[in-house]
Amino acid sequence: MPARGQGVIALSGPPEPTLDDLVGEVAVLRVYRQVFSVLAREAGAMIVDSTTINIDESILEAFAEAGGEGLTMEQAVAECRQWAAPIVRRRFDVLRSYGAISRVNDRPNELYHRAAFAPYVMLLFLRRMAEQGGQSELHQLLTLEQLNVKSANATAADGVASARRLTKVFRLLGNELAILAAGSTAETLGNNAQLLWGNESLIDQAKDVHTVVLGRWPELDRECAELRIALAAYADAIDAAAGRLIAQAGTTRALGLLPVEAWRTFGRESSPEALAAVLDRFVFDAPAPWLSPQALIEAVEAGRQISTARVPPPRSDDAEAAPEADADIADDVEELRAIAERLLADANSVSVVDVLDGAGDWISARRVLAEVTAIHHHPDLDYELVWRDGVRIEVAASPSWTSQGRFRRASRAGGEEG
Amino acid sequence: MNESETALWWARIRAAGPQRVAPSSASPAGMLRLVEPDVTAVWLLTVVPEGARPSVLEELGLPVLAVEQPNDTARVLAVCMRCCWAEPTGPMWPGIPASRQQVAAVFEEITDRDEAASNRALVAAIRRLAGAGWLLWDEPGQTVRLGPRVATWGSADLSALRELWRMLPSSADIGHGDPETPR
Repeated sequence: MPARGQGVIALSGPPEPTLDDLVGEVAVLRVYRQVFSVLAREAGAMIVDSTTINIDESILEAFAEAGGEGLTMEQAVAECRQWAAPIVRRRFDVLRSYGAISRVNDRPNELYHRAAFAPYVMLLFLRRMAEQGGQSELHQLLTLEQLNVKSANATAADGVASARRLTKVFRLLGNELAILAAGSTAETLGNNAQLLWGNESLIDQAKDVHTVVLGRWPELDRECAELRIALAAYADAIDAAAGRLIAQAGTTRALGLLPVEAWRTFGRESSPEALAAVLDRFVFDAPAPWLSPQALIEAVEAGRQISTARVPPPRSDDAEAAPEADADIADDVEELRAIAERLLADANSVSVVDVLDGAGDWISARRVLAEVTAIHHHPDLDYELVWRDGVRIEVAASPSWTSQGRFRRASRAGGEEG
Repeated sequence: MNESETALWWARIRAAGPQRVAPSSASPAGMLRLVEPDVTAVWLLTVVPEGARPSVLEELGLPVLAVEQPNDTARVLAVCMRCCWAEPTGPMWPGIPASRQQVAAVFEEITDRDEAASNRALVAAIRRLAGAGWLLWDEPGQTVRLGPRVATWGSADLSALRELWRMLPSSADIGHGDPETPR
């Protein structure tokens, strides 16, 4: 075992595997493991990946092409150039240790080996079984059994053997499924869903065999009853497993049959064509609205009723006041101008103190003050109020102090009217 | 024409609406052939039984395909039907072309809207309907014709539409300055 201990072995440029390839390899590997794990463990070399199977196949092919004198190990390694030499040597040893390859002459220093045909046939058989889920082999087995029990020279012993074989096959199938359905996760069940495929025709074929056996040899009723029980158990196991798968898949398209990661990888790495192919058989309606005559009539009649002229938004009841307010503003100018003229009395300027004194009490004075301020601030009026420092204080008067200031005709540059 | 070609035509029409083909082309099974008035082309339209039309959706209370501005769209189609269906005793297809002014006049008449808003709604609805095959809109020539899809209206629909035709004013009446047309 020269290559023993080498962990990672680089393969020469493997093609990018697609999802289908991976699934196929996983299926092959699973069956291969199931069948050969015992042998392989004894030989000290477990099958760890599907590459190993491919290498076995290459080695056997090399022997097939080698002709009469066989191959030495070095020649076989050279023939299998596409794989790394150490791993080919290891597989060569493994194959030799369980008899698939043997020395041409059984002597210690014999270099040439020959390959048996049976392992390659087994390999082909396994590949096919993995691709088709073993169902076709089972169908063939059932057909053969039926031919056996139907043939003219078949004896009751043949019938017993046939019924027992079938009973065993279906018990194994049914047990595996029942255990999976009862105890395993839905993912595991999905991975083994091939056990579920095409089961109805299998059961039907087995029933045919059963009928023939029971018809020809009625004394075999015990064996036949066992076969019937095995078939019924298988059917129950299928129902249970299918029920679990359906419950898990829900209304989706049974996406649970593959692990989530597989779907993600597929979605990420597929070409747009592959993804679009999902919709190949779907037809989408044109976005064409359907207009029924009733809809037309209703729309036309509704259009007549609704006046689409602009309606002013609803107002509160005192909306009438608004125009008067406008008039007030217009009048205000004249009013203020009159007040200003009255206060000024032809003079150009009057003292605020005099104006306030003239108003009498504070109630009137403050109104005058407000008016004067308004006149000062009005943009259309050419009067101004100029405050100065200084306060006149008269303790007895109603406004006991009054700021010094003058109300006068404005000397605004230009004025508003020019 | 074999089965798969027929199926392809059905799918095409279902997916993309009525199809315009050369008049010499073979006709798939179950198709209505609507010949253009000048016989330069033929429209292919699927004929489905009364119980399989889109109107069934309404009867079943299922949502129909939403159309923008459904009322204006329906009004414009009604107006175009009034203008283009020259002889309401006969079939609707092919009808006669109508200028946009004629259509706009009738549309304004039935909607009482100011001209700009009415114009906007009219053009939008005509384009929408032309896209769905209800109208044929010659945008450079500013003329409208009824589209092939009007042939999907059944005979019961047509009698209801004749009523509507009589309700609507014609563009000639409006042109004479008589807004209150006979109803």
